[in-house]
Amino acid sequence: MRAFLAGARIQIRFLTAYPDSLIPFFTAPLFTIVFLLVFKHAGRQDLTPYAAIAPVFIALWWLALFNSGWTITIERWNGTLEMLVAAPSSFGAVIFGRIATTTAIGTVSFFEAWLVARLFGTPVTIHHWGAFVLTVFATLAAMAGTAVGMAALFVLARNAVTFSNSASYPFYVLGGILVPVSLLPHWVRPLSSVVFLSWSADLLRATLDAAPIHDFWPHLGMVVLLGACGYAVGLVALRVILVRVRESGELSTT
Amino acid sequence: MSTLRVVWYSVVSGANDYWSIFTLKSWVFGWLIRVVSQVTFFALIGKLLRTEAQTDFLLVGNAVMVAGMGATFALHQPTSERGNGTLSLLLASPSRPVVVMLARGLYVVADAIWSALLGLAIVGPAFGLDFPWPRALLVIPLTALVGVSAYCFSTFLAGVIIAHRNINNLVVNTTIVGLMALCGVNVPVSFFPDWLERIAESLPITDGLEAIRGVLAGDPWSSVAADVGGELLAASGWLALALLTFGRFIRAGQRDGSLEFAS
Repeated sequence: MRAFLAGARIQIRFLTAYPDSLIPFFTAPLFTIVFLLVFKHAGRQDLTPYAAIAPVFIALWWLALFNSGWTITIERWNGTLEMLVAAPSSFGAVIFGRIATTTAIGTVSFFEAWLVARLFGTPVTIHHWGAFVLTVFATLAAMAGTAVGMAALFVLARNAVTFSNSASYPFYVLGGILVPVSLLPHWVRPLSSVVFLSWSADLLRATLDAAPIHDFWPHLGMVVLLGACGYAVGLVALRVILVRVRESGELSTT
Repeated sequence: MSTLRVVWYSVVSGANDYWSIFTLKSWVFGWLIRVVSQVTFFALIGKLLRTEAQTDFLLVGNAVMVAGMGATFALHQPTSERGNGTLSLLLASPSRPVVVMLARGLYVVADAIWSALLGLAIVGPAFGLDFPWPRALLVIPLTALVGVSAYCFSTFLAGVIIAHRNINNLVVNTTIVGLMALCGVNVPVSFFPDWLERIAESLPITDGLEAIRGVLAGDPWSSVAADVGGELLAASGWLALALLTFGRFIRAGQRDGSLEFAS
């Protein structure tokens, strides 16, 4: 726990020291404006909840891709990975503390998006508070788990930079963060079903609708399960990385 | 003549940068998939709204926006020169830094224009977008105009932020989404209040995109030509501003030491 908190503290210092790491908090309100403008122009203010949810996912996914995903790689570039590995505290706990902090801070985008919607004169109402809170927690946990997977895989992958720069919109489409997966072609839907964003986005939109939510628990279970899969992949990859660099003696040179 | 040599070597150097960033495989399976997904993401909003006109509007706007977005990435260039430690050499040389910067980033614009056209050519038919022949061919030079215009704008911004490397990515990302909101990419600029419409028209992309929409919709040539004139005016305005101010920003940075030593 102490290692986790230490990771959280250092991450807060990083985030406040580098304005670039706060990009999603500047772009989330702008994306909200773009989506709200489209819906207002089309006379479809009933879709305001869609416009308020999508920028939050964009912000969280951005943080996972460009911030959390690069946690271990940046430790390597800074030359601090060796000290982190040599320290008696858990390597994984420190990394998870950093990633969880980044993900938690991403919730600021919820308030931004909803504030912009209110300023547009189309406030968003939460109709199912319990389901909403549970979905938000499950989404944050899944995002952090997925980010741990990315952080570990980015160290192993040769084209991690290209992946980071390219893996935004494909996942926004597959995850149905703005346009529900049900409107995608049939052949895409199996792919969407293994992206936790699709389950999470459907649930969050449902909590903003007065109609009862169908199949809440199975959907929530899928969010947690897919997030856990990302986390498990991350843990295995982390172990592989540490064993590999210790055995080859190239911890500081890889 | 010496300026032409500087331009040529800058273009060659930029092209080498490009091939070190992408392989054909990573470009196709990384970048191109992102471009196609980005255009699809916005075109799908039209499906959500259940109107074909909206789908076409969003598809064309966001495909052309890829040219503007790619050109805005050129903002990274001065800071990458700083990161590589080559900015001080460039400043010490007798050639004008703005000429080198403009020429060195041409590959970014060429890539952006090509990506935008591919996005339109791939996603357009998938959503049933009509390409009237042969006038649709005009979309190619018009997209190039949009890319160049956005590049002039981003070169001006690059000068403004050259001494502030720590906010470089922030400026790039907010500029891109800001242009998406303002330049008639997702809603017509006529939907805005008058004062905001005037601002939008002074920005790159707006008029060029309108011209492209006009070409595809079969608008009279006079209307298309007026939009092309507007985009040319915006491009030359931003280019002039970049040429006038870039040197000043550099000199200011040299005076206070912020160019090489600021974070």
